[in-house]
Amino acid sequence: MASTRSKMQQASISEFFEKNKHFLGFDTLNRSIITAAKESVDNSLDACEEARLLPDIHIDIKKVKGKPDELIMISQDNGPGIHPDSITKVFGSLLFGSRFHTIRQTRGQQGIGITGVVMYSQLTTGKKTHVISKVKEEATAVHVDIGLDTKKNKAISSNRKRNHWFNSEGEVIEHGVKVQAHMKAKYQRGRQSVHQYLRMTSIVNPHASLSLKVYDEEGAIIDEGNWPRVTDILPRPVKEIRPHPHGQEIGSLQRFLRDSEERKMTSFLRHNFSGVSMRAARDILANSQIDEARKPGTITAPEAQAMLEAFKRVKLLAPPTDCLSPIEDLLIKKGLSKAIDSKFVSTVTRAPSVAGGNPFQVEVGLIFGTDLPSDSPVEVLRIANRVPLMYQQGGCLLTKSIESVDWKKYGLEHPGGRGVPKGPAAILVHLASTNVQFTSEAKEALSDNEEVFNEIRLALQEVGRGLRNHKRKSKQREKAREKFELVNVILPEISAKSSAILGREEPDLAPVITNIMNAVFSEEMSEWDSAEKVTKCSIKLFNYTNRPRQYTILATWPEREGVELIDENFEGRREAKGLRKWKLEILQPSDHLEISFSIDGLSKGDWTQFDVFFRGSGEIIGAMKLDEKILEEIRREETAAIEEAVVTEHGMESNIEDIIDVESSELDYVPKNALEDVVSETTEIEASQTNHTDENSVLNGQEKTVPSSDTTRQVKLFEENEWGDEQ
Amino acid sequence: MNSSRGKTNESVVASLHEVAEEMHNKMMKGTAPTMSLPVRTKKNIEFNKRLGVFKYGKKRSIRDATSLRSANQLLRALHIIEFIEEMIDNGKSSTLREMYYISEAWGHGKFGSQNESNNLAEDLEIVTKCMREDFKLRPEEDGARMIGDITINERNRKGDWMTINARDDVGDSGYGVPYNVESEKLRLIANDVDFIMAIETGGMFDRLVENGFDEEHRAGLLHLKGQPARSTRRILKRMNEEWNLPIVVFLDGDPWSFRIFASIAYGAIKTAHISEYLATPSATYLGITADDIMAYDLPADDLSSKDIEALKAELTDPRFADGWWQDQINMMLELGKKAEQQSLAKYGLDFVTDTYLPEKLAGLGLI
Repeated sequence: MASTRSKMQQASISEFFEKNKHFLGFDTLNRSIITAAKESVDNSLDACEEARLLPDIHIDIKKVKGKPDELIMISQDNGPGIHPDSITKVFGSLLFGSRFHTIRQTRGQQGIGITGVVMYSQLTTGKKTHVISKVKEEATAVHVDIGLDTKKNKAISSNRKRNHWFNSEGEVIEHGVKVQAHMKAKYQRGRQSVHQYLRMTSIVNPHASLSLKVYDEEGAIIDEGNWPRVTDILPRPVKEIRPHPHGQEIGSLQRFLRDSEERKMTSFLRHNFSGVSMRAARDILANSQIDEARKPGTITAPEAQAMLEAFKRVKLLAPPTDCLSPIEDLLIKKGLSKAIDSKFVSTVTRAPSVAGGNPFQVEVGLIFGTDLPSDSPVEVLRIANRVPLMYQQGGCLLTKSIESVDWKKYGLEHPGGRGVPKGPAAILVHLASTNVQFTSEAKEALSDNEEVFNEIRLALQEVGRGLRNHKRKSKQREKAREKFELVNVILPEISAKSSAILGREEPDLAPVITNIMNAVFSEEMSEWDSAEKVTKCSIKLFNYTNRPRQYTILATWPEREGVELIDENFEGRREAKGLRKWKLEILQPSDHLEISFSIDGLSKGDWTQFDVFFRGSGEIIGAMKLDEKILEEIRREETAAIEEAVVTEHGMESNIEDIIDVESSELDYVPKNALEDVVSETTEIEASQTNHTDENSVLNGQEKTVPSSDTTRQVKLFEENEWGDEQ
Repeated sequence: MNSSRGKTNESVVASLHEVAEEMHNKMMKGTAPTMSLPVRTKKNIEFNKRLGVFKYGKKRSIRDATSLRSANQLLRALHIIEFIEEMIDNGKSSTLREMYYISEAWGHGKFGSQNESNNLAEDLEIVTKCMREDFKLRPEEDGARMIGDITINERNRKGDWMTINARDDVGDSGYGVPYNVESEKLRLIANDVDFIMAIETGGMFDRLVENGFDEEHRAGLLHLKGQPARSTRRILKRMNEEWNLPIVVFLDGDPWSFRIFASIAYGAIKTAHISEYLATPSATYLGITADDIMAYDLPADDLSSKDIEALKAELTDPRFADGWWQDQINMMLELGKKAEQQSLAKYGLDFVTDTYLPEKLAGLGLI
């Protein structure tokens, strides 16, 4: 009897796996190894992020002699390690993430985590997963084999021992986790491979160092990759936030009501949801005709339904967005440039936004290079919460957003305006959200969402404009280079050779050159001076016309705190933020001059190209005529930003007292740490509310409180940002 | 016609100097140096009634040094001029390929490809009204081979004239036509044939030789080797003019063969400046015609997109403007098929010599 039962259970766990292997990520031998690597890497990244450690993660994949369908995967990180008591739970727990009271952006929204790898290994090869874990506080590491008790559906550990753990150099490893799993799987190269997964992961986790080595049966390396970190800045810690009423459905609301320990409905609403002020809570209850003093547990289904309706009618604050962890455009840029050799990178991080009560934020990157294939569709890098999506590209919201943009306008081939554009480019789209909606349990494609779609489109159009500018500029630069070569090299040779053949004197070429060029040229350069640790910039201006010319030249520079413009050879003035101008004296025909300056406070590769504008009559090849309207816009934004800062500061001071006053009556029911959160969270929101009345303005106000780097601003002002070869 | 040939070295150098002079004069005036030459596309070839061939029309293009590309072309032209002058002074000659490699040492005047150097040499021919033989430049591609009862005198390297009969004094590969077939190098002495047949492929040429077609039908056979070299077209022209021998052309049945025929009979677009030396207006296209494909039920291949493109281009080519050609081209487009000469082997190895050619030649009244 007992044996029949265990057989049934065993059958059921295998069956469960068999039935669900598609969305567990183990449906093909190729995908199984990707999923295994993905689960370990995601775990390592999350653990390091939480412990504020810069991750070093290494993956080894080994073919097994005599077993062509089996692989051994070894992953090792330098993370905090797993506490000995938790190892079995981490590797053997079948539960999905259970925190439904709080939400935040996490990687681990996909699959069933590392447990799936343990299960899959056991079911396909009968082998246990070997784990070594070392936490800093303990002297020795725990070595243990994890398997699954298929009768009880729980993890069992065996061969547990404590030992020192050494690396290949014989040094003691202070902390980290090593996992070795033996499973049925096949290693393949290409778009869907561990290699590609790690490459994409490294792009969106620029703070991580990742490496991969794949060995054949004989131990020879058949594939490898190494993606060192490009920044020491860890992603900012994400705050957990409570759900927003707008994202609620009847089921979830009822669960909240049932589990609530609050005594009154007002405190229930204020403590379980974000965006609900005291006033809003009262409005909601009045709207749904529920007494404020009712106990949450007594609310009936029709009443809960009425509350849902009220959520829509009552003015609510948007949820806070600091629960999101954008990569930030500069870091995406570094990540992309590291992975793909390119001539141009443009990235945009949009301000956070809200859809259906869920905060989300969109980031896109476009990389354009000469080394990428030019006649095939661009590479699409889809990322959700820093996790690359490898399958089902066609049906994904991120892909659809890319397809919806008119890329022809921005200089990419886009036959029929349909599908993914063609060209030597890669497009990255990252959606950071507390609630990523997938089309299916497979969690490989995002489902449609109009707000997200529109945000992505706007961001893509922005990088598209950058690309268009880049192309126009390179074309101009190429044209100028050719003209210079023509008059400085070829023409003198033509003159010398023809005179020699004819035995005549050489003509004076100055008028010929003026005739051929018939334009003013500008050439800018930005170079890192490693000796002086400054970025040296210069603008050369040549007058190849037969008339004297006079211009005001303007150049962009990364004006922000800690960055200074020094060593100007002409005295310049500040025209607007990040825009310097030099009023020049008259430039005679055939004459040239050079403006030079240095930028202090940057590091190598931060500023490799800049824009040159001019005021004055006639064109300058290599510079853009300053659009005075854009300048106005820059100035307006600058003034607005200053005013905003003043207003926000003032607002915060005056509101804090009021808020604490209101809160004090309910202090009894609020746990101490939660109160701190509420106070700080509400402070920001109430502050902006004093300036705005309708919901939209509240949202706007909030957007502005999110810190945006100056670099982001630069990108927007000039619709262009370029990254040089040095990256 | 022969009188117009044989420019003196001095007059060649003088014409070349005119090219350099145009550039120098422009620069002295303070403007960009230029080189003007006729437009070399099918839009600028016209039928010359007096010569009976197609020549360049009046459209001229001016290559001026306002773009890097054109400036480079001018510089290269000057290098070539200098190089030719040196060869004339030293009594040397070089192949076009040698010149291409020599240009490696010309710095910015270096050619990107041999096609570029060949084209520029042709440009200079056109501008100066000289021929490349005057420039001491010769092609590296070998000329045609010929078999039949034809006797010629050819001057050897020592300067002596030797007499060769293209049937009795040669092996199976026939008499090799030299790159220079002008009268100072080659004289047409005697013949005992009724017509000359120019053949596109080596396989077909060898088939006719093996079957003794030349003797049986009193024919001179000439292997064109694809698009015929200048000397091949030139010797056809001389045999036609000096001996009054009819020329029939036997090619594959595809758009590219039509072009080969046009270059033999009407003049090639690339060499339209010397069409009167190279083209034989009375040459006849024997086959394979589009109607042969149907009449003989020949194994045929589908036209590729490039074939179709070429046929459509030929419809607007002034050389194919006459009704017979328009019919042939349209028929091939409708059929959507092309056939090789060797497809006649469907009916056996002797079919071409026993049946096909006799029928076709009888149609022309040649046998």
